[in-house]
Amino acid sequence: MHGTHGAGPFGRGLAWITALYLVLPILIVLPVALTDQRFLSLPQDGISFQHFRTVLTSPEWLGSIWQSFTIALASTVLSVVAGTLCAIGCWRISRRATDLVRLLMLLPLIIPSIIYAIGLYRYFGPLDLLDRFLGVVIAHGVTGIPYVVITVSTALAAFDPRLEQAARGMGASLSQTLRWVILPRIMPGIVSGAIFAFIHSWDELVMVLFIASRDVFTLPRRIWDGINENLDPAMAAVAVLLIVFTLLLLLVDMALRRRAQ
Amino acid sequence: MKGHALSLRRLTKRYGDFTAVDDVSLEVEQGQFLTLLGPSGSGKTTILMAVAGFVEPTDGHVLLDGRDITPLPPEKRDFGMVFQGYALFPHMSVADNVAFPLRVRGQSRADREAKVRAALDLVQLSAFAERLPKQLSGGQQQRVALARALVFDPNLLLLDEPLSALDKKLRAELQEELKALHRRIGRTFVNVTHDQEEALSLSDRIAILNHGKLVQFGGPGELYERPRTRFVADFLGKSNFLQGIARGPDAAGMLLETPGQGIHVRFAGPVHMPRDGGRALLSLRPEKITVLNPGETAENVVEGTVRAFAYLGAGFSLVVETAHLGEIRAVLPAWQSPVAPAEGLPVRLGWAADAAVPVEEDAA
Repeated sequence: MHGTHGAGPFGRGLAWITALYLVLPILIVLPVALTDQRFLSLPQDGISFQHFRTVLTSPEWLGSIWQSFTIALASTVLSVVAGTLCAIGCWRISRRATDLVRLLMLLPLIIPSIIYAIGLYRYFGPLDLLDRFLGVVIAHGVTGIPYVVITVSTALAAFDPRLEQAARGMGASLSQTLRWVILPRIMPGIVSGAIFAFIHSWDELVMVLFIASRDVFTLPRRIWDGINENLDPAMAAVAVLLIVFTLLLLLVDMALRRRAQ
Repeated sequence: MKGHALSLRRLTKRYGDFTAVDDVSLEVEQGQFLTLLGPSGSGKTTILMAVAGFVEPTDGHVLLDGRDITPLPPEKRDFGMVFQGYALFPHMSVADNVAFPLRVRGQSRADREAKVRAALDLVQLSAFAERLPKQLSGGQQQRVALARALVFDPNLLLLDEPLSALDKKLRAELQEELKALHRRIGRTFVNVTHDQEEALSLSDRIAILNHGKLVQFGGPGELYERPRTRFVADFLGKSNFLQGIARGPDAAGMLLETPGQGIHVRFAGPVHMPRDGGRALLSLRPEKITVLNPGETAENVVEGTVRAFAYLGAGFSLVVETAHLGEIRAVLPAWQSPVAPAEGLPVRLGWAADAAVPVEEDAA
């Protein structure tokens, strides 16, 4: 195309530096995870998979992985149901008040999670939700709602409202219209929101530090403790597993988006 | 009985200060094809949406076979509807789209399949049952929308500008198909359009709307030949307007006194009769005017000069400047035009006394 200029050497260089800045800290854990030493360091005499072996055979690590996974799954269900219903409700009513509701729903993204965590700590005590599976699921589920509201609202913005009218005109009840017309059309948005809500819970640390202690010990929490107590390279191995898992989820998301187009 | 009768009684819809539909009453007999015709913003779509149940009237009632259905939600009315842009479900195949109204009614799969096949046969799309809507052309999508609207034996078929998205040739084709379909299945159709040709060719009854008001309601011939107001004459086809003073109006006719000459008018049917000595307005269709040969005469003759002309293939369109009546437009069949039109050419225009009809000025 005429009129669009290629980036100059300066712009190009800046772009590469930014990209490296984003990626390098993530990549550094890879050699560390493969170290042959017994502490957090780069490999000296050769690479070794011993730390992966440690992680995948240790009941503590496996227990935390399992716990994180089930919490993320349960809180994702909560986020998706609440977030989707909220987005559809706002879309259908569509008044100034619903804009306010949508803004309110984004609060968990806007407010620092440490402030949120302090508040949760105060409320969860009397409700006996501290250090409980349910407590963490609620905390993660509620703070995951914004991701779902955003992605589902975006999908709904592209939804032709006449399809809903057409369905109603042909005799479909509200729930039939929802199940057969609206949900199939916005499914990519829902799945996208679910993936983000899952990742949000899967790597959330701050709130867990406040509202969980012994019984609920998620994966990010165990990494945190590991760094504080001993510099076991097993943590780097866990980090690599985490990154790979997250990347897989993002790839699924991208594939779904491409198919939706 | 296959079709149903529809009545609107004093239907009104206001949005704040704006009156979209203003006190509209009309009756459609069973099996008729009604067209709501008007420019954009005339309230025609609002009326259709009120009939469908998507718009709640501020006042008035919608009756089906004499039964008041105004409080019923759209899903309880059993009306088939073809939406503007068709509103086919993009994630469903053609067959699933057509089966949708049957599915929401909980019909068995076997019943559904038979009816879907019959409906697709009706619109000649059986071969496309498994395609997705986006794999079809505009005309085919339109026919799927028709099949979907008809598959559940609806009480009424509502059409919201069904042909507006198609190109001219396809539109003419589908007009014929739609008309044939209406004759074949004998249901009551309610169509909304701003295309006067479509309205004339399809309808049994036309309701002409302007600014939310029903201006005139009747058969296409009646409306074209005897428009009640200037707006109707102008919107449904083209028209010249001649102004003057009415002299001696009676059941048979009248004379329109203009500065230069009197225009003889013979009433061919019931018309709005102007007051004797009052101001009157005549509507005169361009195709009812002929160019006279030398020596030829007519009940009304006006002399003028051709100011502009256009060759339309089938005919000539002339704009003739006259001394006292202003510009007069005439359309003549090209193959029997007595003169080769040219700018500045003096011509004599003639028309029969029953060619012009008196019309009212529209209330502002």
